[in-house]
Amino acid sequence: MSTEGQDAARLAELRQKFGREPLPPREGEAEQSPRDAQPRFRGLESGHRACQGCGEALAARLVMECAGPDVMIANATGCLEVFTTAWPQSAWRVPWVHSLFENAAAVASGMEAAMKAKGRNTKVLAFGGDGGTYDIGFQALSGMLERYHNVLYVCFDNEAYMNTGIQRSSSTPHAATTTTSPAGKERMGKRHLKKDLLSIIAAHHIPFAASASVAYAADLQRKVRYAMGVDGPTFLVVHSPCPLGWRHASAMTIEVARRAVECGLFPLVEIERGAVTNVMPIRDVRPVTDYLSLQGRFAHLMKDADSRAAEERAHLQALADYNIEVFGLRGDSPDAADTTGTAVVGRSGRPAGRI
Amino acid sequence: MTVLTRGAYAGPGTSLDFKTGNWRSTEKPAHIHAKAPCHAACPAGEDQQAWFAKLQEGHAEDAWRELVSANPLPAITGRVCPHPCETACNRVAVEGALAIHNVERWLGDEAMRRNWAYPVTEPAEDAPDVAIVGAGPGGVSAAYHCLRHGLRATLYETAPEAGGLLRSAIPRTRLPRETIDAELARVLGLPGITLHTRARLGRDVTIDELKRKHAAVLLAPGCQEGKEWSVDGAVPADLHEGLHLLKEFMDHGAVPEAKNVIVHGGGNTAMDLCRIMKRSGAETVTLITASVLPGPDADPSDVINVVPRELEEALEEGVEVIEHATINRLIMKGSQVCGAEIQSLRKLPGQDGRSRRVGFEGTERVINVDMVIPCIGERVDPEGLNGLVDHGYLRPSDRFGRLAEERVLALGDARGDRGTVADAIGDGRLAVSAVAAQLAGESDPPADARGEMPSGGLNLGYYEGISRAVAPKLAVADRTFDKEIEGDIGRAAVMAEAERCMACGNCLACDNCWTFCPDNAVIKTEELAVDGSHYLFDMDFCKGCGICAHECPTGFIQMLPEEAGG
Ligand SMILES: Cc1cc2nc3c(=O)[nH]c(=O)nc-3n(C[C@H](O)[C@H](O)[C@H](O)COP(=O)(O)OP(=O)(O)OC[C@H]3O[C@@H](n4cnc5c(N)ncnc54)[C@H](O)[C@@H]3O)c2cc1C
Ligand SMILES: Cc1ncc(C[n+]2csc(CCOP(=O)(O)OP(=O)(O)O)c2C)c(N)n1
Ligand code: SF4
Ligand code: SF4
Ligand code: SF4
Ligand SMILES: [Mg+2]
Repeated sequence: MSTEGQDAARLAELRQKFGREPLPPREGEAEQSPRDAQPRFRGLESGHRACQGCGEALAARLVMECAGPDVMIANATGCLEVFTTAWPQSAWRVPWVHSLFENAAAVASGMEAAMKAKGRNTKVLAFGGDGGTYDIGFQALSGMLERYHNVLYVCFDNEAYMNTGIQRSSSTPHAATTTTSPAGKERMGKRHLKKDLLSIIAAHHIPFAASASVAYAADLQRKVRYAMGVDGPTFLVVHSPCPLGWRHASAMTIEVARRAVECGLFPLVEIERGAVTNVMPIRDVRPVTDYLSLQGRFAHLMKDADSRAAEERAHLQALADYNIEVFGLRGDSPDAADTTGTAVVGRSGRPAGRI
Repeated sequence: MTVLTRGAYAGPGTSLDFKTGNWRSTEKPAHIHAKAPCHAACPAGEDQQAWFAKLQEGHAEDAWRELVSANPLPAITGRVCPHPCETACNRVAVEGALAIHNVERWLGDEAMRRNWAYPVTEPAEDAPDVAIVGAGPGGVSAAYHCLRHGLRATLYETAPEAGGLLRSAIPRTRLPRETIDAELARVLGLPGITLHTRARLGRDVTIDELKRKHAAVLLAPGCQEGKEWSVDGAVPADLHEGLHLLKEFMDHGAVPEAKNVIVHGGGNTAMDLCRIMKRSGAETVTLITASVLPGPDADPSDVINVVPRELEEALEEGVEVIEHATINRLIMKGSQVCGAEIQSLRKLPGQDGRSRRVGFEGTERVINVDMVIPCIGERVDPEGLNGLVDHGYLRPSDRFGRLAEERVLALGDARGDRGTVADAIGDGRLAVSAVAAQLAGESDPPADARGEMPSGGLNLGYYEGISRAVAPKLAVADRTFDKEIEGDIGRAAVMAEAERCMACGNCLACDNCWTFCPDNAVIKTEELAVDGSHYLFDMDFCKGCGICAHECPTGFIQMLPEEAGG
């Protein structure tokens, strides 16, 4: 068989396997389907293979909605890359490049330089997991920021190497159990602390770096829009629960993310050129146990019989209190942009005057 | 030439060919239509949630039209209803129930100020005509609902004016004459309704005559006869029976003088009389009631059956209450009362399991009084009712009010199991719905089988505390016999109050499901969604994670077993 014939046969086989029929022409369709008529940009489409209730899939979709359509993406290896692009399909509707695990920022730098050379305004995004950002891709990211590329780097922080089976990363919270930091007789989960990445990013003195959470979609999207308007390197870390790795019910993804913010363990802050310029105040501060108790990765901390559990709970509470203190997260009075005010809904969306 | 290498690329959005919907294992999301608790609790059948939704959209007239699809008299009920809707309101779990009655009242008043038209049309000239005996709130509601069903209505009322107890018993301080006159006139003036006043069943017409002339006969005569009252056979010569005294006061504006008064009973008549006696100058007015005042430990079935606000105001005005007590003995001087012996009692389950009131020996004490007013309830005047009265009431067999006699139904207080204006209004609606169905050869309208949405089914994280509107009130010193005590909250407060409604069990169009679905499986479409929301689930892609259901603030989305229909 000719190479061409082989390719065609392989393609047919793949199509058979994935049930793909050739798409009818999309242009000039007589009637727009309800999906096509959605009043938002669908940069990341359905049919991706993320687990039920995946926070990372949601976070990426929310980012794409307000970043697209004139963008291109360099995506590090990890769940997001894998579940969106099961060959021969892609859930992306913008130009998208899979880099390696370690070099999304470097690839994005190159793409940005190419755009510049071609005189194009297309914004380049770089996507990576926490493993690809806090750990292995960190030096590439640092270089990209330092060279001042016009790239928005988004880290989807699910606090472990999920794609390869829940190994600890430097972003995994203290005392969480993972396959490489198992809780047991010797240890109460991860021994070390979650790396304060945002401060390191801030030290690069870039125009905008912020943390966001899938639980506060409006706030997350405001930050994306702001970063899109900055001509220079910007950075966003989005707290994205993983029902599989954190071991919580898939329906609880938003609830878990919300409690992380409300207890102070995941502070939402904005940093411009090294200075904190905004934080989301917490209207009703919750105890960390409200957050921990929803997740299997902290189940060992909920055992009353184990004295180490009480100590670790107290440690995590102290870490949350520390965040609340250093970022001044305790709201003085109800505010439309605090944790409760940001979440409030009204008929036909958010009440007038909210972000 | 197809070149297939590791560097090949897939078309944009081609993942849509891969239907992740078959990943759902046991559950799928669905829009469920639950009753808001306010709606479930409303005896008149209003759907407060639905009219608050119109207010939230800024459409006050639409809100009123939605309201009057069940209750034609909102200016009246907004003033006198004990508002069980507020007691049921889920917002209690946030910072306090909505001020539903204040908003209802404003809508009713606004409709009169602006002359909004009732959403009914004149029935055909030859449409069936329904006879209604009694033009109290029950009868008037029935007449109005006839129009909604394309029927004509003829009211027979013995009094010179319509209104029933609204006019004859409820004090003006709570329900001004102008409000009754204006709202009743608007309803009774609708083409298709005929009102005959001074027409008394038993004297001027008979049931048989009405049955011959009309498609059906609805009996709404209320309860006009005081129950007999005596204590161990002692009946004071100058006995003043409660409702009678009250009606006299409404007509002449005066009550007999007394220094120390006991009112015996636990309903609206007792409460209103206490306040009137106090305002007329009685030094002490004491309510003796077998029931208990509302409170955290009070058994709801034992709580005094009055509008909570009235009780509160009565206490403010200095009325004293002795709860869980009865009058054992009257102390007489000749045939005049000069004291009463009170005894404590409790409602306790008896041997047969049915609860009864048990008096406790050793708790007797005497209070000096110069007037005792029994307000222990009223019964139906049996005149002209063809022997349909059974132990004081008409006691129909079903919720529509059917009686033993064909095409004759009972509604309102006369049923014997009702006691509020809203009950009577709801009865009017139900009775007419059954008549209309029967005339059309259909079976009875089915009861609304939808479940109720409890506050536990909401996601309260999406609502923030907003304080409840407070209506202006006359200070105790400024209260008279005819100035209305509670005032209007005004348009701005009404609109702000509407914003507090959480839309329990119904779609708020908040976009949460659309925003939070990780799989883009919620489609926003005003055109295709026909279930009262603007959203559809794309089951081709929904993985059944349950996020939308958990984040739906109102409980409108629930996860149902995969096999379930819908
Ligand atoms: C003092 C007092 C205060 C109250 N306060 C409240 C309150 O705050 N909130 C509340 O919800 N409820 C209150 N109620 C109860 C409420 O008034 C009644 O539940 C309601 O009016 C019942 O309506 P109805 O139409 O069944 O009867 P009614 O209002 O009694 O009307 C019956 C009508 O039928 C007429 N009628 C009677 N017999 C005949 C006949 N033979 N032929 C022709 N017509 C006849 C009567 O003249 C009357 O107009 C109060 C009652 C009293 C006594
Ligand atoms: C150099 C290199 N080492 C290891 C891997 C294997 N690998 C693929 S994805 C991944 C973990 C990804 O973790 P993270 O970046 O946190 O993304 P997540 O899957 O959690 O979204 C690893 C270790 C690789 N692809 N390349
Ligand atoms: S919040 Fe609104 S819908 Fe819910 S019970 Fe109260 S009034 Fe009814
Ligand atoms: S959030 Fe989306 S995927 Fe999850 S159950 Fe709802 S519609 Fe289905
Ligand atoms: S989440 Fe909001 S928009 Fe979606 S069904 Fe519930 S109330 Fe309606
Ligand atoms: Mg990760």
